[in-house]
Amino acid sequence: MNALGVVIAVVSVAFVAAAGVYVTAWIDLVLARAVAGLEVRPLDALIAPLRWAAATALKARTTTERPDAEAWALAPALLAALAAVGLAAVPLAPGLLAADVANGIVLFGAAMALVVVAVFLQGWSPNSPLPMIGGYRFIAQGLSYEIPLAVVLIAAALPARSLAIAPIVTSQEHLWNVVRQPLGLPLYLMAGLGLAFWGPLALPEGQDLAGGSSLETSGASLLLWRAAQLLVLVAVAAMGTAVFLGGWLGPLLPGAAWMILKTLFLLIPLIATRHFVARVPTERYVVVSWAILIPLSLLDVFAAGIQALMAAR
Amino acid sequence: MGLKTAFARLAAGAPARCFAIVGAGADEIAPWLRLDPELAIVDSPRAADVLLVLGRFNEDTLHAAAAVHDLVPPPRGVVSWSPGHEAARGLPFTDAVALSDPSEIGSAAVRLRDELLSGRRASSPDILPDVDPAPWRGVGPFGQGGAGMTGGVPYGRPLAGRANDRDGLKLDQILVRVGPFLPPFPPGLMLDVKIQGDVIQEVSMPAAALDDGSSVADEHHSSEAPGSTEAMTRFAAVQHDPFIAALMRPVPVADLELARARHHLAWLAEALRVSGLEAYGRRVLKLARTVRPEAAEPVDDLSRWLRRNLSLRWGTSGVGVVSASQAAALPGGPVARAAGDGRDVRSLDPAYQRLGFMPVVLEVGDALARWRLRVAEAQQALTLAKRSNGSVTTPSGLVEGLRGPMGARVSASTALVTMLPELLVGMEWGDAVTAVVSLDIDMAEAAVLHDVAAEGRAS
Repeated sequence: MNALGVVIAVVSVAFVAAAGVYVTAWIDLVLARAVAGLEVRPLDALIAPLRWAAATALKARTTTERPDAEAWALAPALLAALAAVGLAAVPLAPGLLAADVANGIVLFGAAMALVVVAVFLQGWSPNSPLPMIGGYRFIAQGLSYEIPLAVVLIAAALPARSLAIAPIVTSQEHLWNVVRQPLGLPLYLMAGLGLAFWGPLALPEGQDLAGGSSLETSGASLLLWRAAQLLVLVAVAAMGTAVFLGGWLGPLLPGAAWMILKTLFLLIPLIATRHFVARVPTERYVVVSWAILIPLSLLDVFAAGIQALMAAR
Repeated sequence: MGLKTAFARLAAGAPARCFAIVGAGADEIAPWLRLDPELAIVDSPRAADVLLVLGRFNEDTLHAAAAVHDLVPPPRGVVSWSPGHEAARGLPFTDAVALSDPSEIGSAAVRLRDELLSGRRASSPDILPDVDPAPWRGVGPFGQGGAGMTGGVPYGRPLAGRANDRDGLKLDQILVRVGPFLPPFPPGLMLDVKIQGDVIQEVSMPAAALDDGSSVADEHHSSEAPGSTEAMTRFAAVQHDPFIAALMRPVPVADLELARARHHLAWLAEALRVSGLEAYGRRVLKLARTVRPEAAEPVDDLSRWLRRNLSLRWGTSGVGVVSASQAAALPGGPVARAAGDGRDVRSLDPAYQRLGFMPVVLEVGDALARWRLRVAEAQQALTLAKRSNGSVTTPSGLVEGLRGPMGARVSASTALVTMLPELLVGMEWGDAVTAVVSLDIDMAEAAVLHDVAAEGRAS
């Protein structure tokens, strides 16, 4: 890729990321008002995220006593960068993706595996007890979502015999992976909630910790942290669309339109969990993950392997 | 137009993000702030534009309030309100917007936020000096403060200790002072907690933990004997008006039961919020504000929704179990009834007997049982209010209050606060918060009746 190509790729990822974050914040606000029994005014809700962002940006970045200042400053940028890398691996339409690599699914998995570092840094750096507990919690829940996430993504790649995303999408031309591997998408979405520390798996930032890992963060850092968290959610929905819902495949509409519609189809229930499912206790989630979710994900990949072997004959 | 001006204009239409610190006499105001469309109550002072200082404070809580003030990132401001038009007295917030009418809190906070963000008003300066509370003084003669040291309190700063955790691993133990303004906990509650990872290893109560906080900021009450009838009446006037009134004169059953239903629903709203269901909590808070005995169907719907919600059951089942013997040591109240102890002062009142009142009693004693019991009691209270047909109570010196019998020597809140160290040790932090929230402790009630108990011991 030449220099111009790199610039175009970066700009397009930034544009898609900003749009995704904004739409996610808007959907969350509309859902929150509906659940709270308040009048839903979608147009007012359109500007509300911008108002919040402006007010947050105008606040000072505060500090604590003897923080790890460099790590604290780095954490939101790292989370945003990792989410952007994950998103860059997802093709919007045939040939339309920023990171056109042969191992796209590995790139996505690697970026998402490092999210645990960003969240732990965010919790540990302020030198404050409740954020630190938030960081500990994310370490505790890390493997519990990472293993099912990685395993179901590998299972989804098996029918395509490729680790690149585009062949995985085209391998679903006759049958989407959501049907071929019925365990895959539910497990992926549950793992995605853990990855985005959202809704029932918002353990590092729960109300019981008064905000947890971002409790001490303010100003532009807080703004970037919130945007990065939403971007992780968008990346999870977009990758889920590509590997389980046939990506850009669909009749009549252009491929990119299908991709956006299907991403929204996954994004809305992911966002809605925050308003309908209570936060689960860390230990119980970890137990359930190791006793049920991880064995199910292994079952999923074994079944996918057998299917792939049979198809090869 | 500069970028800052543009941002300030854009931000002007948003609710004011406020962190609320709640002192004595503000419990009637604070829970309902979340219904004000002009306010967004946040969990951390770092996320706030405006600090709301509501009620009266004593020396310890005033110092804590000043520390919280300094945590709010500039530009910041303060809106204060206290019962009896005493807002500014004794508070260290010299540039606070002092209100006499609590209904103006929302509009005052928005106005103040807009002035601060646009630069028309200066940010409130730090109150406390920005100095190291325990400055480094090098390695002491006994090696204190040296590399590798764990445990102890060198130069006044507690160091992390080391001990085996429940899995046999050696992990740091950290001593953390919780409260008095940590949002998931009742305002005023202070605990010294030793945590290892997120497991609570030790809990103790600081000496100043039970103090009603009215003596410093409220001069004309400072000479009042703690626990005196005047103090109780003043407390009652702000806190539980119909219930204290029922101690002294007949009160309509409908008034008491409607107040009970509203309180239990408002408590549920906060419990849902802490469990992560903030929007649903707001719906329930709205219901608590508007519910009427003749239109109780939404509470029945809520009860069904709660029973079906597996995630809430998962988060509360088996958490913070109060045993039958612990329940017997309580003076009564919903926490005891959720653990199988059926004492309820209402059973003795002829008006309630005529209505066929039977206390709601559950057996398990965990947080889930307390959630279910309060919702069932809210439903029962609305039914009683509807059927009471003008019945009035018979004063007997005891009334079944919101948290237990009022008029008893020890309040339920006092007994529950005393029980906390025993209850919380060994729990993960999240479970401990769930347990504390489910107990519904009122620190003002605990403080007043703690003073009564202290007076009794002294005499």
